[in-house]
Amino acid sequence: MTELGQNLIDALALGCLYALIALGITLVYTVMGMMNFAHGEFIMLSAYALYVFAGLPFAAGVAAALLAGVVVALLAERVAFRPVRGADLSTQLVTSLAVAAILQNVVTVAVDARAQSVATPSSISESTSIGGLSVPNLEFVTLGLTLVVLGGLGWLLYRTRTGLAMRAAAENFDMARLLGVRADRVIAISFAISGGLAAAVGVLIVMQTGQVSPAMGLTPILVGFVAVVIGGFGSMVGAVMGGLLLGALTSLLGVYLPEGLVPFRDAIVFTFPVLILIFRPHGLLGGELGKARV
Amino acid sequence: MSDARFRSRSSAAASLLLPLALIAIVTLIGANGTPSFEGTVTLILCNLIVVLGLQVFIGNSGVYSFGQLGFATAGAYVAALFTLPAAFALLQTPGLPSFIADAHLGPLLSTLIAASVSGLLAMVIGLPLMRTSTLAIPISTFAFLVVVYNVVANWDRVTGGSSGLVSIPTTTSVESAGLWAAAAVALALAFKWSSSGYRLQATREDEVAARSIGIGVMRERLIAFGISGVLCGIGGALAVHQSGVLNPTTFYFGATVTTLTMLVVGGARSVLGAVVGAIAIATVNEVLRGVENGVDLPGALSIGGAPGLAAIGLGLILLATMIAMPEGLSGAREAGELGWIRRLGLTAAAPLPEPDRAVASRPAVDPALRGALRAEGISLAFSGLRVLRGIDLELEPGEALGLIGPNGAGKTTLVNVLSGFQEPDSGTVTLDGVDVTGRSPTRLARDGLGRTFQAALPFPHLTGLESVAVGAMGIGVGRRRAPAVAAEVLGRLNLLEQAALPAGSLSPAGQRLLGVARALAIQPRYLLLDEPAAGLSEAECEELVEILRNVLRDFGCGILLIEHDMSIVMELCPRVQALDDGMTLRVGTPEEVQADPAVVESYLGSSFRVAAGA
Repeated sequence: MTELGQNLIDALALGCLYALIALGITLVYTVMGMMNFAHGEFIMLSAYALYVFAGLPFAAGVAAALLAGVVVALLAERVAFRPVRGADLSTQLVTSLAVAAILQNVVTVAVDARAQSVATPSSISESTSIGGLSVPNLEFVTLGLTLVVLGGLGWLLYRTRTGLAMRAAAENFDMARLLGVRADRVIAISFAISGGLAAAVGVLIVMQTGQVSPAMGLTPILVGFVAVVIGGFGSMVGAVMGGLLLGALTSLLGVYLPEGLVPFRDAIVFTFPVLILIFRPHGLLGGELGKARV
Repeated sequence: MSDARFRSRSSAAASLLLPLALIAIVTLIGANGTPSFEGTVTLILCNLIVVLGLQVFIGNSGVYSFGQLGFATAGAYVAALFTLPAAFALLQTPGLPSFIADAHLGPLLSTLIAASVSGLLAMVIGLPLMRTSTLAIPISTFAFLVVVYNVVANWDRVTGGSSGLVSIPTTTSVESAGLWAAAAVALALAFKWSSSGYRLQATREDEVAARSIGIGVMRERLIAFGISGVLCGIGGALAVHQSGVLNPTTFYFGATVTTLTMLVVGGARSVLGAVVGAIAIATVNEVLRGVENGVDLPGALSIGGAPGLAAIGLGLILLATMIAMPEGLSGAREAGELGWIRRLGLTAAAPLPEPDRAVASRPAVDPALRGALRAEGISLAFSGLRVLRGIDLELEPGEALGLIGPNGAGKTTLVNVLSGFQEPDSGTVTLDGVDVTGRSPTRLARDGLGRTFQAALPFPHLTGLESVAVGAMGIGVGRRRAPAVAAEVLGRLNLLEQAALPAGSLSPAGQRLLGVARALAIQPRYLLLDEPAAGLSEAECEELVEILRNVLRDFGCGILLIEHDMSIVMELCPRVQALDDGMTLRVGTPEEVQADPAVVESYLGSSFRVAAGA
């Protein structure tokens, strides 16, 4: 029983992490219609901010990571994505792939291709016991952060003028523009928030693994993309659900798979969305529900 | 030989020979270099085959796949495992079934098996993946790539795990790679110019319009996905027999980005583009790698080694291409379509196919049966908004029925229901007595239901002749006969002058008429026209009326005409059905309908009354 509870909390924590990734991707997709391959590299670059500022207090490193995520996302939008705004899906997708390749290899050249270790506060790696369960503090941080992000996004989207503009742009970009929504600003804000979310994910990953590497963005971007597909494209709720589902599946398979199959966990996890797509070609929330995109 | 061709023989020959010549030159340069240079060139040719594999699927479907290198991985491992020398096989892959471990096949046989396995894998994987949407395919194929990596990296006893395989026989020479590449070019071109290739290109140009002419999007994508898998498998198999080593990252994400860059920089829609892009990017890549390893440039300027530099360079090239030159180096044209080749005078203009006079509406399933397209009690609501409320409609072959009503009356939605693009909440649609409610647009088109759209939905990169011929191909007319059918339809619609031009370059009126021709090419028994005159000038409207009158006479199909211009409806349609608010107000002669107070009321003195008073 205790073990089950433990596993469920682990599953929830990983699901939250994946949901944060999927949210960052969906936010840009709803407003701009682009699946952003470079989102994984936003995560990676933010993580490297922690490595670069390893000498400073950890909180300062986190602040630097946030700044890095936001700045890189804004820069990528301005330099690479704005020129292909309105182009077809494939053009945008490949453009973001190019940005991802550039960012990843810039870090390879600037630092190293190998992983570098980053010291994290010891309090993070400790556990707190609650009702017989020993819950790693990092999982509290993840859960708490996810709740804050969800609440903050909800407030922003439904309680502010900026949020209204973003929802309008997500619904019908051209019409929103005609009605006076400033496209550049709405898209920039989406990218900034997306970059901030990427930074949060980057910090969480570093706290868990204690290291950074140029290729560390690959798994998150795949996870995020798949979560978005499972959830039905462009729905925030779907993205969170897809992330939770994928994270929980990954976590639980790691525990409950027979030993011989554990190395193949990723293969099983990423086959799962294909199974969903066989029966629901447009994702779990595709179709009617998925149309309410924000 | 038939005259039914889209291009002159000389143009087709140029399209095949220029890429072959490029491959021959690369092969010769490689064969005359040092052994290590020859090895590099051989690998470039293997890569080129993989890029051609990408072109077959991505170029023709317009859908990006990030998973094709997974098929190169599959091909490479199969080829390696079937050829490993016994001693090394025992050491590296103890779990390998003995029929594979003891096979010790030669290069040709192992490559062919690798091609079959990866092709088969592509078909099996593609079956569920091609069902998903255009946007989900890049992601699900990406997931497939990771699954393949995960499996080969951890299946230690069979694949050698993450440390990979060594001592694989190195049997691929630069000449054999060159020959395989030449064969791959021929296959890619043959597919592009086949019926299936044209149908797939139509889905790339406009998925909705493609479905309306009987094209099964999933089926065509799956075929190309399979062929692409075969080519990628061959490329992988040849490459591993050049390098002699293989590990799970050989054809993984890095190679995916590199080969996609080659395809996109060359111009994804053309086979020439794939060849040019592969050669150009490989050359740039080798130069950048030289810089990466540290070279002394003239002038005593020394640039130190930095791994990753080449990848940054390629990334920047890819980015610049997407922003500034999305059609790529080839302009997405085959050699025979290039302006400078034509100006050299080597290629003749495309001949006009001999028209096929037998084109007309197909006979009813059973001539004794008095067939009709019939809708009964059609209702449909969009999230509570009731767009159609119990509509009946009947259209007979040879008859023209006008469908009128103010904006929002439900006319287009009704056509969408009739043509299968929308499933009704209740009510039935019967076609010549058969209940076809809920049938897909693709199926209905093959059953004899043609339609056009409010927007012209052209196939911009196909010529007028190709656009119409692909309609005939959509219902299964053979590749040889389709151009003749298209020529006949275009001739009857006075559109022959535009046959050789890309549909995207035509005037709005031209594109609209081409849309009618495309729908007629499926030889429909019933043709649904959604505002064909919208945006046409008065002269063009008169021409349209003339054309539609000819269509009624020559093709014998029933026409349902949605039109706001009452004068056109009056001229063509002896019977008119007026809708408002999702319900039928009146069916009758144009005069009766116009005189009906409810109909007049529904328009509230808008265009209808103006037209009626004129």
